[in-house]
Amino acid sequence: MLNYDDIVNNLEDLPSLPAVVMELLNSIDQEDVDISVLAKKVSHDQALTAKTLRLANSSLYGLQVKVTTIQQAITFLGFQTTRNLITAAAVTGCFAEKQCKGFDHKAFWRHSIASAACARVLARQMRFNQDYAFTAGLLHDIGRLVLVACFPKDYEKAVAYRDEHDCYMIEAERAVLGIDHVDAGMALAGHWNFSDTMKLAIAHHHTPEAQGAGFLSAIIHVADAIAHALDLAQMPNGLVPPVSTVAWTALGLDEEVYLQLFRETELQYEEIALVLLS
Amino acid sequence: MTASYQHMPLAQVEPGMVLSDELLDVQGHVLLPQGTILTQAMIALMPRHGIAMLPIAVLAEPTEEEVAASQERHLERLDHLFRKNDPDSDQDWATALLRRFVTDYRLGALPVEE
Repeated sequence: MLNYDDIVNNLEDLPSLPAVVMELLNSIDQEDVDISVLAKKVSHDQALTAKTLRLANSSLYGLQVKVTTIQQAITFLGFQTTRNLITAAAVTGCFAEKQCKGFDHKAFWRHSIASAACARVLARQMRFNQDYAFTAGLLHDIGRLVLVACFPKDYEKAVAYRDEHDCYMIEAERAVLGIDHVDAGMALAGHWNFSDTMKLAIAHHHTPEAQGAGFLSAIIHVADAIAHALDLAQMPNGLVPPVSTVAWTALGLDEEVYLQLFRETELQYEEIALVLLS
Repeated sequence: MTASYQHMPLAQVEPGMVLSDELLDVQGHVLLPQGTILTQAMIALMPRHGIAMLPIAVLAEPTEEEVAASQERHLERLDHLFRKNDPDSDQDWATALLRRFVTDYRLGALPVEE
């Protein structure tokens, strides 16, 4: 059995994000960042720049012109949105595919992207910050990658336990490892200096009814369930997690709105996945 | 309302194809109404509006058996995905509601017009 310290002690071995992305993550709550300096730093990373610009030019943002530099993207989309696109492009490329039998990296990212797309659509409906929702949706399960990267053999056993008992992955993690992907996600969030908003959403995406969990947790919780229900990750043993009545009630949406959101989520998912999984 | 549609990249769209939905620009203005038969000129203008994908109607109507079979597959898959949900449980009603909505969505139930 592992404990929280075992994760923290292993974090140093994890891939690190490009320095400029760390800077962006740390500054997510700040408004007074020197944008031109950051734009210049990102531009030095060509792969990152290319992915970011492809996202910016996707129909999600409906730009009338094609942006060709990070600085242009900031001008047309704003700093917040561009920063989130850079983060998304960086994080999805940063974990190497570790040998871990039964863990499907592609399916992991398909589900994360589906959750991000759905969270963004839900946030717009709720008039909540869409960029926060997108990033939190993308990162809510990042702890799984930490566990796979640090303890691949143990995680294989957890996957086998899940298959044997047909339980939720989080239950298998607790039974086999003694810790779960929420713990691991929190450890990484601390290590990578995520903002408090992001930390709360990662911490409470399974417990949005907890005191002080925050509205973003409710959005991510419901987006996670919808992403599973729409089956966008196409996992053979897919399983919809129980939906918190508190979170569902907090969103307070009716069927007509949900049917619209489902369709928009599917359309946005296709397009984002095309960029981020290439 | 066209029952089935395909989300198609602009490069694959050809003149003569039919829009399955109305096409909106960024501001939400209608560019083209639903059912428009696309021309070369219309397709050429899409990039200017930042549009890269188009909802294209699938013209060949599936047979009744095909529809039934596909609905059956959807229901089976949803049964599997929601296998932990007890629709009669008082505690788990939010999951049951999500299941109902996704089922309606998959079976093509349209929201009731006000």
